[in-house]
Amino acid sequence: MNRTKAQLRAVLALSGWVALAATLLPAGAFLRWATILLFVTFGPGLALLHPQSGVRPPARLETLALAAPVSWSLATLTATALFLVQGFSTTVFLISLAAFCTVAALLPGLPLPAAMRQAGDEPSGAAGAGTGAGGEP
Amino acid sequence: MAQHEMSTPGGAPHGTLTRERARRTPVGPGRLLTWLPLPVGAALWAWSLPRIRFHNLGDFGLLDRFPVAFYASLAVLTVGFIASLRRAGTAPWWPLTYSLGMLFALKAPTALLYDTVRYAWASKHDAVIARLLTEGTVHPHHTLNGGMSAYDQWPGFFSLNAALIKAFGVQGAAVYTNWAPVIYGALTLPILVVIYRTFTDDWRLVWTAVWIFQLANWVGQDYLSPQGFAYVLFLAVFAVVLRHFVRPGSAGSLRDRDLLDPAAAPAPPATTWQQRAVGVVLLAPLIAAINSAHQLTPVMLCVTLFALCLTRRYRNIGLFVVAVVIMGIWDLTMGRPLFVDTMKTLSGQLGDLLSNAKPGIGGNPTGEGAELVGVVNIVMVVALGALAVVAVVLRRRLARSALPLLLAAVAPAPLLAVNNYGGEMVFRVYLFGLPGSAFFAAAALVPSVAYAGKARRIAQRVMVVALPAGILVLLAGFLPSYYGKESMQYAPPQEVAFVERAYDRAPTGSLVMAATGSFPGAYYHYNHYDHWFFTEQDAAANRQLLKDPGDYLAEGIPAGCPAYIILTPTQRDAVQGEGYLPPGGYTKLVAALKASPHFKIIEEGSHGLLLQHLPIPTAPEALPDDVEP
Repeated sequence: MNRTKAQLRAVLALSGWVALAATLLPAGAFLRWATILLFVTFGPGLALLHPQSGVRPPARLETLALAAPVSWSLATLTATALFLVQGFSTTVFLISLAAFCTVAALLPGLPLPAAMRQAGDEPSGAAGAGTGAGGEP
Repeated sequence: MAQHEMSTPGGAPHGTLTRERARRTPVGPGRLLTWLPLPVGAALWAWSLPRIRFHNLGDFGLLDRFPVAFYASLAVLTVGFIASLRRAGTAPWWPLTYSLGMLFALKAPTALLYDTVRYAWASKHDAVIARLLTEGTVHPHHTLNGGMSAYDQWPGFFSLNAALIKAFGVQGAAVYTNWAPVIYGALTLPILVVIYRTFTDDWRLVWTAVWIFQLANWVGQDYLSPQGFAYVLFLAVFAVVLRHFVRPGSAGSLRDRDLLDPAAAPAPPATTWQQRAVGVVLLAPLIAAINSAHQLTPVMLCVTLFALCLTRRYRNIGLFVVAVVIMGIWDLTMGRPLFVDTMKTLSGQLGDLLSNAKPGIGGNPTGEGAELVGVVNIVMVVALGALAVVAVVLRRRLARSALPLLLAAVAPAPLLAVNNYGGEMVFRVYLFGLPGSAFFAAAALVPSVAYAGKARRIAQRVMVVALPAGILVLLAGFLPSYYGKESMQYAPPQEVAFVERAYDRAPTGSLVMAATGSFPGAYYHYNHYDHWFFTEQDAAANRQLLKDPGDYLAEGIPAGCPAYIILTPTQRDAVQGEGYLPPGGYTKLVAALKASPHFKIIEEGSHGLLLQHLPIPTAPEALPDDVEP
């Protein structure tokens, strides 16, 4: 792992805790909502999908494109679950996402298979592979 | 990218050294046309912004309130975007900047200028979030008046917003509601690039499709809403499937350059079942979040995944089953009451294609502005459809390799035969088909120039003439479609304050009536009141209403229930714009209600009229003859 990658992981691992700390700022303060919004919108997704080593450039675009939807999904499910059990609090909500982010950032990252290979490769030993002809339909 | 550089219009990449140097000079004509429109367009837009007269909107919404400089800024940005396509493969940041610039130019004015929440339905969603914050939970199986319990059955989007509001420490969603179209648009853009990049190596085609998507997305579902939110997640799922769910051994000739359209990209690499299983794990939270947020989007997702299963490439039955199972679990647990109700009413609408495809629930819109919007909407759909058909017919090889996009574009259409979704189905079918139709419309306007001889010349002419013309037509259509009914969408703060004051006067449990629910604040503290939006019914019933509005409404009020009528200018515009009442009907209605003995005026002003129901005491029973009075 090179230094930039390690720094990115460290930033992602800490991002949730920074967002949590931002709740100590005055209500509605720009720094508070901007930090939290950025974390909730990109943090969990980037932590889960952060680019692997040896990926092709499109993988970076994909990570960027999918980070927000993945983050929002996880935040939505967390918030919904907390409201359903009448257990919502900002602290629990942000700690849940921050902890997820920290763990995900320290793991190797979810592989995006199409980004790891060259177009035209077929996985070896795949069930049903090898006919290779015909295309659609 | 390399393939695209080969196919840039106007010449091969191996030009002479002199030409290459000229192109690299920042003041060369090509370069100048790439970057100069950006500051010019931005300056025109910034100059025009404070001159947009939104406070007093007329029949044409913002169309006649935008200064000429605003329209000029959009035209200049369009010129810059088209010029930037010349180097789309090597300098993608230019079309990206113009796309973001156009998004901001089109959608940000209302966010920057408006002093109230734009669009009555966004205000309704604010009310739902406010209630969730007050109660701290949802009650999915409690019945609420006016179908409001559906919001408790699909609370995902509202829960996220409630969580953000608490974390931000702000009072409510109103502080950011008007920015939703810009945020959704910005997050959608890279997903669209991933989708289109899967099917073409020609970056001009990618960016033109993104541009067309923006202009053709006039249906106005990008406000702060569960459907706008779920749509972003839907596109993300679609993108992941297209990129990472290609089955082994299925692409075959789709990777043979000789058999592909010159602009087509080879099919993405195949994945093993283990890799696709990991993909399902990644998608499961997205699919679950879509299901937690919105009723229709999971259905659209399932029909799209089913359509993809029709191709060998994307025959992922397992993923389709997972999507159906998650939807089924949600519908039969949290969403059970509405799901059961919908199933009961389904038989009445099943197969009634004409009725289901009818936009809205009212009659024909009245007023020049609303009529113009209706016509432009149809022209937009026809123009986009015609361009897409042209590309499918003329570029059959591209259509073959991008068959999944084509199938996804038509997959939602059968839902028109199932349900009308409150008059919205036709718009939703259009919206979910838009990623595919925008791609093929772009393919009609950006032909590949990797041809020789006459074909190459034709392609270049199409690019020079048809692309600007097509994009400008779509831009001209977007503005009336998106901003033509703005008098329905904007209410001044005084009107919002009037509505809240009116609700505060009504005791809890009152029946609050209004001509329509399309006015900001209509659902203020909605769980405290019953509602009756009395013109939102069929034309025959409205004719009956207009005969004697006072009697008609008084008869519908439950005995002993305190009742109020709120009427506002936004309702007047909505009733006209949606065609609930015939021309002049609203004025007649208001005059009749003011004169009715059943109601008394509590407050009247330019921002609204509040009437209170006066229960007319029943005449005392006549005493028997033999009883002394």
